Amino acid sequence: MAQIGTNEFRAGLKVEVEGEPYTIVGVEFVKPGKGQPFTRTKLKHLKTGRVIERTYKSGERLELADVEETKMRLLYTEPGGVIFMDDKSFEQLTISTAVIGDNAKWLMEEISYDILLYKGEPIEVSPPTFMEMKITETAPGVRGDTASGRVLKPAILESGAKVQVPIFVEEGDKIKVDTRTGEYVSRAS
Amino acid sequence: MSLGLLEDKIAVLKDRAACLAKARAFFAERGVLEVDTPLLSHAAPVDEHIEVFRVALPEGTFGYLHTSPEYAMKRLLSEGVGDIYQLSHVFREGETGRLHNPEFTMAEWYRIGIGYTAMIEESLDFIRCFLGPLPSESISYRDAFQTFAGVDYLHATPAELLQVIKTQGIALSDEAQEWDKETLLQLILGYVVEPHFGREKLTVLFDYPSSEAALARTRQKSEEVVADRFEIYYQGIELCNGYYELIDPFEQRKRFEEANYARIAMGKPALPIDEQFIAALEKGVPDCCGVAVGFDRIMLLRHKGTSLNQVLPFTWDSI
Repeated sequence: MAQIGTNEFRAGLKVEVEGEPYTIVGVEFVKPGKGQPFTRTKLKHLKTGRVIERTYKSGERLELADVEETKMRLLYTEPGGVIFMDDKSFEQLTISTAVIGDNAKWLMEEISYDILLYKGEPIEVSPPTFMEMKITETAPGVRGDTASGRVLKPAILESGAKVQVPIFVEEGDKIKVDTRTGEYVSRAS
Repeated sequence: MSLGLLEDKIAVLKDRAACLAKARAFFAERGVLEVDTPLLSHAAPVDEHIEVFRVALPEGTFGYLHTSPEYAMKRLLSEGVGDIYQLSHVFREGETGRLHNPEFTMAEWYRIGIGYTAMIEESLDFIRCFLGPLPSESISYRDAFQTFAGVDYLHATPAELLQVIKTQGIALSDEAQEWDKETLLQLILGYVVEPHFGREKLTVLFDYPSSEAALARTRQKSEEVVADRFEIYYQGIELCNGYYELIDPFEQRKRFEEANYARIAMGKPALPIDEQFIAALEKGVPDCCGVAVGFDRIMLLRHKGTSLNQVLPFTWDSI
């Protein structure tokens, strides 16, 4: 695998540190006086999300992590796993619900997801930033709630995600939601 | 003088122009002559930790952009020019960050026969022109390490310094076990000691270890060999680097050669030594002190900014 020097460190690059894959989330150049420059790096573990800090002497090199990003369409779900397909190669891949983690609440058939592979193994499934889906459960809007300032109410979407929606949207309505924050964006047609 | 929060870019640039004029007035009042030496030279500045921009010349060889106007200014000193200053853009490859830009403005000046202590006072006054009438405090390198890192730098072993770093919760790369003492001292200075400097006052750090002498003279101080080099900090940020200047051509050549050996050991190319600069020292540079001030950082502190891109017309990543 290729290596990069400290002067090429950029946020977003995926590197191998002590045998584990990390994303660089912060880089700071530190140079006391006329002395040795250092690169202070914040790294987020690709699987666990744990953030660590490491300081390198300028000129040190890190191995780029063997990661690949690919888009795959969700075919169906079975107990303990979800089956995706690459629409170009028609290759199918089963990803365990443990790997999908919290993002399981955004899973819907026929939607394409970003799959991150580390050494060929899936380690992350990311939904599209915006998704459109039906509300399967929410209380009817009550008149007068707007006046008291409580303009949102809880709702459950068809993928199982629990979100807050304005009181005027009803069960069966289709809405657009931001999967990064779980926030309601708009009504969808 | 406007010292409010960062205003819009144009207002900052207008203030920058006013500050450049103020800097020139500061030197004019003291009878210091402005010079503007070339940025591009056939010889390179040689320093183990400073990377030089190399420029391809039409004749198939290379020129180098100066990392400070020091050599050319000392050549003028050897010709008897007297006290001089320069407001110059300087170039250091790879230095990019919140407080670094590969091209930055340096105010550098030399005073003949003024004395080291008086030079520190003059440097403080220069900084006060822009940051207001701040009081100052002084601490030696050894006392600063003792006070803020709890370690005697002179006797500490690399293992003890690594322990200090670990205690501070600083995580290093695997290779750190092999770092030498100078590297570990510089890390502790940057991460542990410097953040304590200049909280309320301007802090002068002085009596550097001889390994950090750069172009300063060294002398014996009880059991230490110290360099007559000082830096001034405000709010943890290094603003100024001053020397009681080394004027011995033999010692100067030795330091260049050592720096080149260190560069080779680090896998970096050796650089051509400026023979005309050495020749000027042989001819004779008068007893003098020299100071370099990072002008952009002064502007940053003056405008209470957080990153140099707020006070520069453009930074390297945007041009």
